[in-house]
Amino acid sequence: MWTYISRRVLQALLILLIITAVCFLLTRLSADPMSQYANRQGMTAADRAHIAHSLGLDQPVPVQYVKWLWLALHGNLGDSFFSRQPVVTLISQRLPLTLELMFTSEVFIIIISLLLGIVAAVKQYSLLDNVITSFSFIGYSMPIFFIALGLMDIFAVQFKAWHLPYLPTGADIWNPHDLGALAYHMVLPVSCLVIIQVAGYSRFLRSSILEVLGLDYVRTARAKGLGERTTLIRHALRNAMLPFITIIGLDIPFLLGGAIVTESIFAWPGMGRLFWEYAERGDFPVVNGVLLIVSSAVVFFTIIVDVLYTFVDPRIRLS
Amino acid sequence: MKRSYYFIVAVLVFASMLLASCGPTPATQAPAATATPAPVATTAPAGPTATTACAPKGNAGIPFPSGGKTVTIAFSQEPDLVDALFSSMSYAAWTAQMTLVGLATWDSTNTLVPLLASEIPSTANGDVSADGLTITWKLKPCLFWSDGQPLTSADVKFTWQVLVDPGNAVYTRAGYDQITSVDTPDPQTAVLHFKALYPGWQTLFTSGPNNQGNLQPMHILQGKTGLEKDPFIRWPTVASGPWLITDWVAGDHMTFLPNPNYFAGHPKLDQIQIKFVPDMTTEFNALKTGDVDFGPDFSESDIPSLTPLEPAIHTRVDGLGDFEHYLFNLGIQGTGPGQSDVSGPCPFQDVNVRKAIILGIDRQTIVNTLLNGKDTVPASLWPNSSWYDTNLQPYPYDPAQANTILDTAGYKQDTPGAIRHGMCGGKDTKLSFNFETTTKQLRKDAAVAVQAMLAKIGVEFKPTFQPAGTFFGNYAAGADMATGKFDIAGYTTGFYPDPYTDNFLCSSVVSKQNQGGDNNYHLCDPKFDTLMNAVNASADPAARKTAIDAVQQYMYDNYLVIPMYTRSNVMAYQDRLILPPTSGFSGMLADTFDWDVKK
Repeated sequence: MWTYISRRVLQALLILLIITAVCFLLTRLSADPMSQYANRQGMTAADRAHIAHSLGLDQPVPVQYVKWLWLALHGNLGDSFFSRQPVVTLISQRLPLTLELMFTSEVFIIIISLLLGIVAAVKQYSLLDNVITSFSFIGYSMPIFFIALGLMDIFAVQFKAWHLPYLPTGADIWNPHDLGALAYHMVLPVSCLVIIQVAGYSRFLRSSILEVLGLDYVRTARAKGLGERTTLIRHALRNAMLPFITIIGLDIPFLLGGAIVTESIFAWPGMGRLFWEYAERGDFPVVNGVLLIVSSAVVFFTIIVDVLYTFVDPRIRLS
Repeated sequence: MKRSYYFIVAVLVFASMLLASCGPTPATQAPAATATPAPVATTAPAGPTATTACAPKGNAGIPFPSGGKTVTIAFSQEPDLVDALFSSMSYAAWTAQMTLVGLATWDSTNTLVPLLASEIPSTANGDVSADGLTITWKLKPCLFWSDGQPLTSADVKFTWQVLVDPGNAVYTRAGYDQITSVDTPDPQTAVLHFKALYPGWQTLFTSGPNNQGNLQPMHILQGKTGLEKDPFIRWPTVASGPWLITDWVAGDHMTFLPNPNYFAGHPKLDQIQIKFVPDMTTEFNALKTGDVDFGPDFSESDIPSLTPLEPAIHTRVDGLGDFEHYLFNLGIQGTGPGQSDVSGPCPFQDVNVRKAIILGIDRQTIVNTLLNGKDTVPASLWPNSSWYDTNLQPYPYDPAQANTILDTAGYKQDTPGAIRHGMCGGKDTKLSFNFETTTKQLRKDAAVAVQAMLAKIGVEFKPTFQPAGTFFGNYAAGADMATGKFDIAGYTTGFYPDPYTDNFLCSSVVSKQNQGGDNNYHLCDPKFDTLMNAVNASADPAARKTAIDAVQQYMYDNYLVIPMYTRSNVMAYQDRLILPPTSGFSGMLADTFDWDVKK
């Protein structure tokens, strides 16, 4: 076991090193942060050179990368080029609200996917199954910005016009310490994320349950005289859930990255917006910092899931 | 190392989970000022100006009263920092105008008016020396920072020291580096000594639409260097303007309360909040629901959507000195002064080709259709400003004349509709040009329209669109415009409040030998250099106007650039909001002191 874990950790380190190098190179190729200062009246070439020097941009890219990596290994992700704040500070400001949004969404996604997936599988080819399937495909095929803006138009703009109680656009000033206000402002963004994710997850779970329901051991359970509900919950669902749990587990690290579109549309000050707004300006330290944290979390949770599998599923052998 | 690395990752992940369970991001506390403690509000500060009648009224923002008047503004981008001396961002400049101000500013008529100064220096009042090398600014009496410390000429001198300190990565030192010393004979007088004539002195220590000269508080920042990383620069804890930032939740909003010591008194409002709303559709919806009172960053293409919202929501369009223009690449390959790494298209060296292309573009139709007729077609590159030569008429749209000119110039069409070609530099050359600009939708739409218009005169115009970061990249980044690897390019800029620019000088042509140059036109014309330099040969505004008129006439006669259309600030606001008369020259939020709401 320890040999296996050690091997995976070494692989993970190598993978992370490659990821950081590729991300660093790609961000350097994607935009020039000094372009923010191009075409600005009053700036001289000397001004631009001075700023480039202060940001370390006058050094060769490999040197910049090695310096960044060395600092990152010591927990210092550098300073933002533009706000001049430490990247760790910027991330710590945004991460809590992203986690609140994403974990709340994930809880709803799991519960609703489970319900819809089970119902659709048990009632295969029924009217209910067809309705769930249809809505799943609609939800899956719609872009999230369309869902977000559509929900906002109906439940915020039109409801207000109709003099009905309406939900906020997210552009109002609210106190995030107030749990009531927090819940009120979460309704629309969480709904968007749930609609998009539930569509895929419920289809996946439905297929998984149907596959298990056709196996011999389920038939044996029924032959023993177990009721349909007991057979489903105690026997079929436990096995059908395994791949579903794997997907959920692998989703967790991505929750740290936030949801760029949803956070932007609902003015939610989270990680997704942080990444996007700073990427647009070529603020590489922030972009690389976010990428490092998310990729580290992905690698970390992948190892955790792999190790847990060896305990959960006796068919898996480390050899 | 492995262990510590995973420890960092684990701490980050689990700490964030813990934070999430504890609640949302708390409002970041204002960074502690490292200054000497502010005096008790009722005590006059020490110093020559301290008298019983001259005392600060407080040392913190005036709390928002119950039932007070508040307004919410939406910004599509969050300012990176507020002290505009260190930022190139418009949103930083707008925010700075509310809280950190300079000696003077530009009003709605594009006139420089005193702010912290008591009067504008001039030759008539003796504050501009006869040789133009000495400028004397006199401050208003009884000025205080919001923390109760006196605001004096020492702050003017300190601001200059901050700007010229090589340890500070300021946005620009242009002009300030021409000052040799600043004398402060008394707390209300600052005497600037220039080493050479600097006609643009009005842009120094003043706040305008395109310049930021807000004063720095000496009592907070004295003795420091590398100020771009100082917490004060991001979030100023004291104010010289009408508002003090009292709350800033990263990524979410800022709150401004009145500065108790602002020289003009209490603003008409009791509070302003700025909400960061990155999506313009959301901003539009938030105006409709009343979540937001004022949206400052709409564009002309939004006007058809905003107009039907009257009378609940009003739209205001303020003309700017900014303009969109297309550049001919006029570069000549070589390694000498004023030469480029590569030559621009050979036909552009012929003034007749440039003229025909300009006459072949129906710019008024572009303004009428894509900009809803709210902007104008300028004749030169100094539109909407007092420097504009009103005697010049915009080039007309005349495709027939364009065709005739090109025929005469030797560029023929083999068949109707074909691309013209002719001999240039000894080679048969097609009038086929690449056009580069950014991915902004308005530019894309305009480029497609121009493509169709030029096709009618047998000129092929092939647009390509690049992200702004790539398009505006520098020479080292290999950007096409900087390296001269383009035919025609298009973007927005502006030359105001001071009319001088080195963007057209031979010495500024970007090349391998001059990578820091900013002459993207790759134009090197000694005659034009002489005219442009004449603009800076005098400190007398009247003489400068004559000189800049000559510049505009030369550009006009030689068809050096294509002035496409002017730009405007497009704002939308709730009916309850009362805004004073203003213009694009005032700066977006420079007049918030006079904002009010209906009862």
